[in-house]
Amino acid sequence: MLLKLVLNSSAHCAQPIRNSYRVCSHMQGSTRRMGVMTDVHRRFLQLLMTHGVLEEWDVKRLQRHCYKVHDRNATVDKLEDFINNINSVLESLYIEIKRGVTEDDGRPIYALVNLATTSISKMATDFAENELDLFRKALELIIDSETGFASSTNILNLVDQLKGKKMRKKEAEQVLQKFVQSKWLIEKEGEFTLHGRAILEMEQYIRETYPDAVKICNICHSLLIQGQSCETCGIRMHLPCVAKYFQSNAEPRCPHCNDYWPHEIPEVFDPEKQREAGISKSNKKSLRSRQH
Amino acid sequence: MLQKPRNRGRSGGQAERDSDWSRGGNSGASRAGEHARARRDGFAEEAPSTSRGPGGSQGSQGARRSQASPAVGPRTQKQQELKVSELVQFLLIKDQKKIPIKRADILKHVIGDYKDIFPDLLKRAAERLQYVFGYKLVELEPKSNTYILINTLEPVEEDAEVRGDQGTPTTGLLMIVLGLIFMKGNTVKETEVWDFLRRLGVYPTKKHFIFGDPKKLITEDFVRQRYLEYRRIPHTDPVDYEFQWGPRTNLETSKMKVLKFVAKVHNQDPKDWPAQYCEALADEENRARPQPSGSAPSS
Repeated sequence: MLLKLVLNSSAHCAQPIRNSYRVCSHMQGSTRRMGVMTDVHRRFLQLLMTHGVLEEWDVKRLQRHCYKVHDRNATVDKLEDFINNINSVLESLYIEIKRGVTEDDGRPIYALVNLATTSISKMATDFAENELDLFRKALELIIDSETGFASSTNILNLVDQLKGKKMRKKEAEQVLQKFVQSKWLIEKEGEFTLHGRAILEMEQYIRETYPDAVKICNICHSLLIQGQSCETCGIRMHLPCVAKYFQSNAEPRCPHCNDYWPHEIPEVFDPEKQREAGISKSNKKSLRSRQH
Repeated sequence: MLQKPRNRGRSGGQAERDSDWSRGGNSGASRAGEHARARRDGFAEEAPSTSRGPGGSQGSQGARRSQASPAVGPRTQKQQELKVSELVQFLLIKDQKKIPIKRADILKHVIGDYKDIFPDLLKRAAERLQYVFGYKLVELEPKSNTYILINTLEPVEEDAEVRGDQGTPTTGLLMIVLGLIFMKGNTVKETEVWDFLRRLGVYPTKKHFIFGDPKKLITEDFVRQRYLEYRRIPHTDPVDYEFQWGPRTNLETSKMKVLKFVAKVHNQDPKDWPAQYCEALADEENRARPQPSGSAPSS
């Protein structure tokens, strides 16, 4: 009992200030009315910031939690409206809650991104100079690659060229794992690509810094790291964009050159199906344990 | 660690930022107020490109901006807003690590050439932190030129389920030590602290499965974060130290709150400790009275 109390207590015991006043909306030249910030939104922002990136279902859960704490009886806003409201307030700070989609299976994700800086600044506070440079090197290899993946070997071979304190290959391996844990990179069979978080945060920076090397999706016109390409004309598409574009199309053809699309068409992401799959998986688990 | 990357980002980035920024282009005709402000500043500027955001609510502040124009180039509304944004993010990140933020660091890493309008920038940042995030920027002690953020939202048990980090699992240990210090008359010897903690299975020399290194936590981390004061007691042999509440504790919690915590742990009522209860009541009254030196950031 003591331990539970001890773990649940907090030194941050200030009186909550219930602020929900509307800021004047006669912003010079602005046609958009600035939103209203209440404690529901503030708690949401505070807790969202503890995640680097969050999946949509968890974002909705977070939203419901914040309503429960501050405004039990209110109807929960539609997530899109809720976030747009917050973003209209964040605008003045040049940050926003950005929605993206994972490149491999089209799951919607959210991150609080900086709109103003054109650098990898968010990483700058958690990593040393040489670690940041390692990331930059990996980033360049990923962008230049055909598949969107850079092999561990190729990245580690650049360890001598890093700025800052000298880093050994063994150390660099651990730094790469740090990037994976903090969701800047994804690792698949010894190769690395950008996590959805990195794409959300750094798309602008990447497009401006590597304008010749970047690949763009033919459908959504956003930055493309992983995707499928037409073997005839070379245009590229994100896997989720392919899924949507060719949905229930028996004869998929390249939107640019009309040649037959040679790749397997992935399924469109369905949040309901994903949750069911998650539940049935956990049911199987509990069954297994009962059998012991 | 924070310095170099930020500097590089800033010096290179500043020019990029301004030239690449095309958002403000369609703000249309600027109002008379904007022009008047620009003229007052003594800078020949085109209509400020971005005029959204708290520019409106800050309008009155802007009008009162100092007339002194430094030798540096013109600063548009947008450039100032960007600075405020940088400052807000800097404060949020620093506070996440529970390190009190020194004014010198703010000036060095964020403000730079904008030093002359620093008080205005800080005020605007504080306002944004409060309105947008629910954090209050306060000075640790009057005239200390160090700041911390106080959460104006009451933390709730269920927050732990939706957080992305572990919060601060060490907070429990801190609360115990704070409680001990208060109940023992606001000062306690280090030897007494360990005698007490031993009963909970926390030892100075043994690794703890939740708290890690309790000795380092209590004598270094909590002290650095200004929750505790740790002073050597002169003429003691072997050397002994004493603990008291640090300035951050008084800002983030109160004697009454800590007493309530202690009471809860013992499954009793705060009034069961009359002396401490009286002291806590007096402290509450003191807090209710308006402070002569405000806790708002001073220049």
